[in-house]
Amino acid sequence: MIPLEHFLTLSGILFSLGLFGVLARRNAVLILMSIELMLNAVNINLVAFSAYLVSTEFVGQVFALFVIVVAAAEVGLALSIIIAIYRSRATSNVDEVDLMKW
Amino acid sequence: MTFEDAYRLSPELILGFFAILIVLLDLGVRRKGWLAALTLVGLGASAAWTAVLTAGGWQGTALGDTLAVDNFSLFFKFLFLGAAALVVLASTGYSIRFARFQGEYYALVLTSAAGMMLMASGRELITLYISLELTSLSLYALAGFLKDPRSNEASLKYLLLGAISSAVLLYGMALLLGLTGETHLDAIANALGRMPGANYPVLFLGIIFIVTGFGFKIAAVPFQMWVPDVYEGSPTPVTAYLSVASKAAGFAITLRVFTLALGGPREAADWSLIFAILAVASMTLGNILAIPQANIKRMLGYSSIAQAGYLMVGLATLSDLGRSGIIFFLASYAFTNLGAFIAVIAISHRIDSDLISDYAGMAHRSPLLAGALTFCLISLVGIPPTAGFIAKVYLFNAAVQQGLAWLVIIAVVNSVISAYYYLGVVKAMFMGTPLSLERVTAVRPALAALAVATVGVLVVGILPEPLISIAQAVGRSLIP
Amino acid sequence: MTLPELPYLTIIIFLPVVGALAVVLQQTTAPGRAIKLTAALFSFLPLVLSFILFLAFDSRTTGLQFVEKYPWIPRLGVNYFLAVDGLSLPLVLLTALLGFLAILASWKISLRIKEYFAWLLLLETGVLGVFASLDFLLFFLFWEVELVPMYMLISIWGSGRKVYSATKFVIYTLTGSAFMLVGLLALYFSTGTFDLVEMSQHPIPATVLPATAIFFLIFFAFAVKLPVFPLHTWLPDAHTDAPTAVSVILAGVLLKMGGYAMIRINLGLFPEVISTYAPLLATLGVVNVLYGAAVTLLQQDLKRMIAYSSISHMGYVLLGISALNPVGLTGAALQMFTHGTITGLLFLLVGLVYDKAHTRQIPELGGLSHRMPVIGIVFVVAGLASLGLPTMSGFVAEMLVFLGTFPVWNVATVLAAFGIVLTAGYMLWMLQRSFFGPLNPRHASLADADALERIPLFSLVGVIVIIGVYPAVMTNVIATAIPQLLNRLGG
Repeated sequence: MIPLEHFLTLSGILFSLGLFGVLARRNAVLILMSIELMLNAVNINLVAFSAYLVSTEFVGQVFALFVIVVAAAEVGLALSIIIAIYRSRATSNVDEVDLMKW
Repeated sequence: MTFEDAYRLSPELILGFFAILIVLLDLGVRRKGWLAALTLVGLGASAAWTAVLTAGGWQGTALGDTLAVDNFSLFFKFLFLGAAALVVLASTGYSIRFARFQGEYYALVLTSAAGMMLMASGRELITLYISLELTSLSLYALAGFLKDPRSNEASLKYLLLGAISSAVLLYGMALLLGLTGETHLDAIANALGRMPGANYPVLFLGIIFIVTGFGFKIAAVPFQMWVPDVYEGSPTPVTAYLSVASKAAGFAITLRVFTLALGGPREAADWSLIFAILAVASMTLGNILAIPQANIKRMLGYSSIAQAGYLMVGLATLSDLGRSGIIFFLASYAFTNLGAFIAVIAISHRIDSDLISDYAGMAHRSPLLAGALTFCLISLVGIPPTAGFIAKVYLFNAAVQQGLAWLVIIAVVNSVISAYYYLGVVKAMFMGTPLSLERVTAVRPALAALAVATVGVLVVGILPEPLISIAQAVGRSLIP
Repeated sequence: MTLPELPYLTIIIFLPVVGALAVVLQQTTAPGRAIKLTAALFSFLPLVLSFILFLAFDSRTTGLQFVEKYPWIPRLGVNYFLAVDGLSLPLVLLTALLGFLAILASWKISLRIKEYFAWLLLLETGVLGVFASLDFLLFFLFWEVELVPMYMLISIWGSGRKVYSATKFVIYTLTGSAFMLVGLLALYFSTGTFDLVEMSQHPIPATVLPATAIFFLIFFAFAVKLPVFPLHTWLPDAHTDAPTAVSVILAGVLLKMGGYAMIRINLGLFPEVISTYAPLLATLGVVNVLYGAAVTLLQQDLKRMIAYSSISHMGYVLLGISALNPVGLTGAALQMFTHGTITGLLFLLVGLVYDKAHTRQIPELGGLSHRMPVIGIVFVVAGLASLGLPTMSGFVAEMLVFLGTFPVWNVATVLAAFGIVLTAGYMLWMLQRSFFGPLNPRHASLADADALERIPLFSLVGVIVIIGVYPAVMTNVIATAIPQLLNRLGG
């Protein structure tokens, strides 16, 4: 059996990568991808915890399924907003979407 | 889902039903006013059902103990339904700007209200997350409804920052699951009581992540970056809705999670100081950054960050009185902020500007709207005879009782600072020379909503006793 | 005389605000006669009622009279508790009197008449409520009510840097109230009640804050109001830039809120603390007297001069409180009433001069008594009253203060007495420069006070002289409150 710690480390790394991507990326779609990465890292955590620590129920797996659904909805909405911005500003670079500051 | 479950969840189900109905009817109906009326009918039906649940003693849990129907959640359901109703009334003239998307607008208001109601009822991590996301997604979409660059930008910023914070929240929830093997708040509390001390750092990390997620919703520092831009860019009725309902939902969920799951004595001592520091940061930053604002929506955005700071003083008390203080404050804040925003909606819609300088001389052009806005602004400062005054006294009293006198001193000094920018708007309206002498009027539904809000502020300010006893009963019901 | 059982204090306090509503609901017509008459009516009735209460007040017993106590927010232990005693009844009467006279003095207002009288009446309600409340939260509520009307009145109808002065006034007052709120809440937590009477029966337990800390938190708010040097800087601006009637109320009544509250709360609830810090209060009082008088001498603007002289005269109140004996305290209480009438009269006169001569700068005035004999004479009377000439009320009050303070703080008293010399200096100099001597040609065609303008002048002169000649009318009433206030001082 793969020790639990490995899963946790993997998810930790993925989460950090996602977070880095969110902070460092300028393209809105790439930021979305990073967010997805973060959410999937959490999914790994949930499933791993549930498999190793909770013997009878499948709480973590169920939670992960819900998260996948919600993430899909979020991405759908996000992409449509990005399209709307692209149509009006011809850019998907978040640095250029800055009409409002301070 | 048993019959009892369905009965208990009917308020939310009704809203969902009406949301779908409105979207479908939007295809055929010409006069969109019918849709607004239908929304109000849906909200009213939901409120009526909630009243039946309250009076008929239907308290209990639903869906396998994941959702609670107790005084706490019933109170918040009324709050959200009331806020949504006032917002729908206030957007009667404004909704023309949504062109052919008015049906979706009303539907999203209903779904977000349903989401918030579920947020206040959740007792289990998965349910809380889903309801949080339901609310948030609806609000992200609502923020972008004006289809102009500002609104798009607001929506994008809101969504990106919100998605990040909910990812972080989720990580924290996963850690909680790992530490305790449970997702139900009661079971988590039990398990945390038996948890070996060596795991405490992980618990701390998990709680920090959860605070991050909730802090975003409450708009507390340091998770407040989205507020000014989203408040400025969104359609003003949505801003009003956000500032009141979304914040109340955030506090409801924070109260429930922190009281039930994380309120154990081992954790308690640290949290008071952490919440106190966050409170000070929010108040001070919100108030100071509000002073130079020229756009009234942006100013009200920073003001709501500051108000979140005052509310967090109540969180820092970790006491029954503090919790009832938060609930009272949220109710009075709902009346006050909605009143202010409805006046802003009416005025800005007519003069087509959100700049405070364009509000000059408004007292001549519209004494009623200017007077109502002034009254709500002085309630935000905390000057009698308004609800805001009683709310601050009540909340600060709870803090003093817990030995947080230093925090109260900072809070009252902040109230004085806030007077400066609130009175700046009053000054512009009463003393400035109007740009034109054209009367500014509002449509009747908006005026009715404004009247309800302003009268509410006055009545709660003079006769706070009923609301205080409700707040205390609701606060007590949180602890089983 | 015995009166039928009616909630007199509630009626007196809320009549003005009902009047404000009545004013707001009327149509605005150009001269606004209906509005002005409504305002006058709704401020005349409280005056009549408070005068009746004054006559009906039983000077043979000590303690509170005309008590009205009902539960207001039972869950917090807050009551709707109104009552007056010898200390507050004169001030209620003063407020009602000056409120009515202020409305009369505003008769010629033409800018936004409706709003002006509405705010003025609302202000009157707030101040009346402060003097009559014996529940600390209710007191605080009424204390705050006066903020918004003052802000509006000064910033719309004032002159000079009106918005700046109004904002300064609000920020200073709010800061003071902020500290008072903390003290109030600490008191509530330590004693479990908001009832000022109950709290004055026993020493304050130091549960959340030491009694001294609470004392100073609350004192800070009242020190801003009185005002006590160095928290006085809002006063010259607010007084000078406010419209005449508002200056009358501000100097005549609002400042007394500070003095009254010091006696009622700081002395009544914290006798041990105040006796420890009495030297500090005496010093502050002397500083007020001398500093205020000295700066007054430097003023060229008539109104600013009167404003600074108010700082000086309120120093006598602080001095009298610091004596902590019956005579000194009576003097302080009487000084509040008499100064209210005298300074009210002075501001009315300055307002008349400004209305007619269109300048308040003393160098630009001269020989006005040639054209305005009535105003001139009344001004002389007011000036003499201010410097404490016997046969006028100012003398009695200041005499009592000195009599009471000299045994306790003899140096301070001597220094403060010197303030009278300075007052005489600036008053007589001002009168000579503005009213006597050769008539300044630019004022060759001024009119004197007309009938309506003379009413406030003569009524105040009447009050000043009556109390100056027969002070027992007022001191008998005040004396009934003194034993209660001093009984915990240990003899």
